[in-house]
Amino acid sequence: MIAVVILLAVAALAAFAIRKNIALVGLLTAGAFLGAIALVASTPVDDTGELLDLAWRLSPLGRLAALVLLSTLLLLVIAVWIDEPAYNFFPTALAVGAAAMAVLVLTTPIAIYAALLLALLVPVGSFTFQVDRNRSAEAAYRHFSFVALGGCLGITALALAGTLSREQPTNTFVLLVVILVVAFALKLAAIPFHTHAALLATEVPTAALALYFGVLVPTTFIAFAQILTLSGLLPEIVQIGKVQDLLLALGVVSAVGGAFLATGSTELRRVAVYSVISNLGQSLVGIATLSGPGIVGALATAIVSGAAATQQLLAVGTLERRSAGGKPSAAAAPLAALAFVIGGFAMIGAPPLVAFPGHFFVGLIAYSYSGTIGTLLVIATLGVLVAQLRAAMAIFGTAPVRWRVERRPVAGVVGVVVFAALLAGGLQPDGFLQPIADFADEFLRALHPL
Amino acid sequence: MLLLAVVAVATLAANSARQLRFMAVAFFAVALAANLIDDGQLSATQLAVAGVAAFVSATIVYIAARDPRFGEDPGWRLPVATIVAAATTAATFSFLRTAAGEDIRIELLGEDPSGVTTEVAAFWLLSSGIAILLTARGAVRGSLGALLMLTGTQLLVRLVPGPHLALTLLLSWLQVVVALAGAFLILNQRAVREAA
Repeated sequence: MIAVVILLAVAALAAFAIRKNIALVGLLTAGAFLGAIALVASTPVDDTGELLDLAWRLSPLGRLAALVLLSTLLLLVIAVWIDEPAYNFFPTALAVGAAAMAVLVLTTPIAIYAALLLALLVPVGSFTFQVDRNRSAEAAYRHFSFVALGGCLGITALALAGTLSREQPTNTFVLLVVILVVAFALKLAAIPFHTHAALLATEVPTAALALYFGVLVPTTFIAFAQILTLSGLLPEIVQIGKVQDLLLALGVVSAVGGAFLATGSTELRRVAVYSVISNLGQSLVGIATLSGPGIVGALATAIVSGAAATQQLLAVGTLERRSAGGKPSAAAAPLAALAFVIGGFAMIGAPPLVAFPGHFFVGLIAYSYSGTIGTLLVIATLGVLVAQLRAAMAIFGTAPVRWRVERRPVAGVVGVVVFAALLAGGLQPDGFLQPIADFADEFLRALHPL
Repeated sequence: MLLLAVVAVATLAANSARQLRFMAVAFFAVALAANLIDDGQLSATQLAVAGVAAFVSATIVYIAARDPRFGEDPGWRLPVATIVAAATTAATFSFLRTAAGEDIRIELLGEDPSGVTTEVAAFWLLSSGIAILLTARGAVRGSLGALLMLTGTQLLVRLVPGPHLALTLLLSWLQVVVALAGAFLILNQRAVREAA
């Protein structure tokens, strides 16, 4: 599996060298992703190995997430290549792919964390554009600061947890786990640590935004779950109710806050971004319940929200460009508008899409945990639904005289492909949920070691 | 212990610098002194990898300055960052060391197998980095804060049992990427300021 990481890393260096030749770099990048997907698909589950004493393993969840994330990256690259040629995007996407693959296959918590930080820092370059016309440089700096701060705190907490003996006072482990949770909250843009995401949502190109919310945020969430499992801190978390309460509070605040912010947004970008933040809040609640269905629902929701975010943000980019500075309207790009609307179905977890089981599991387990938390999550979902409906009405508010599919409907086609994949997953949910359930078993075993 | 003093003084020098180039040189001194602290955990290969990464990172920041005068006046941020860092280092060290319950023996020169010097240097760099990053106005001091924090983190990771060389390599790459991202942001913020 390390071959995939090396393939993507080498391709990233090559793409950087030829980045100004869009036709060639696009071909190279798409080819590298296709090769990586083929390699992952042909590698058996639980394949293991070592590199410099660093163990790696392709777990069922790692394989599923790798296929989803690499496919998302491939779709993003195709969209940028054809519709929005931004030369610095290609090496960035490849480097992110390499780092995300490392996150998914490594088994040492500190190494996973370091790879995650690499993945989160690389897009700083693609966030910045037209610096004299907007605040994208400030947005990129704020992202850099949040990642550096959260990253160093997180690795520190893991390093201290690895060096201190287990006969520590409870407060020591409470402190370390709280630092770890806050470090991830910073990177996941969980409310109230979302200010950098709010600025990114307004100022950076939509393709870079889709890279962040469609690929990096789900990768961060998976890394969080993996690191919790591998760090040996889970038994302490079970014993200390405060940490579980912190995770629940963070999750509920993000779910409800994200939904309210999405409802109040008039910009399509913000609607998509805050919907993801709300869904991640639900995922955090799922993890915080420390139960099988909660973990399955949490990871399923995080992965599907990433795909839906890619679908919606690419559509927003096309709508903005085709509306030429005016209000984004379906009249300018009907297929992209349709892609945005069907992306909203996945965001709210509507059946029969594969987004439904994740939302259902988290909602169900949240209700069994506490009626109040369950009700708040339903309110959050309703908020996202209202936000998505408002956005759809705003896009389709002005009907054209004659509906005509836009020229080069890349975002629309990508949206339809993602929708078809989510629909296929919803009709055959076992293929998607079984690898996550396998991970949930590992998580529960780490929670209650023999 | 002597290297700990070098780390502390060089951190203060970097924090108080007005010119980015001076910051870069001071950061290299910090990273070099921190890596040379002998706690018996670092092999020659690891030391070489960490040293090269520190040199490359410092060089990237140095080049990003583009002219010798470019930088940022720390102003009130210097005393605030120093006081916060000193207080946090003392508090964190006493909290975690009390919990460990071990005897502490420190010598002025020579190796320190107990890892006390490494831990103090790590906490100092982490808290200094956090204080600098949180009070920074822009990418100049923000990058310095991030690099100092990462150097502190590297020191703590050294004490963890596991694949040391692989982790050193990963964190060294991370340090270079932090420096590259920081330099990129410095150039962009400067372009924005000059365009205004």
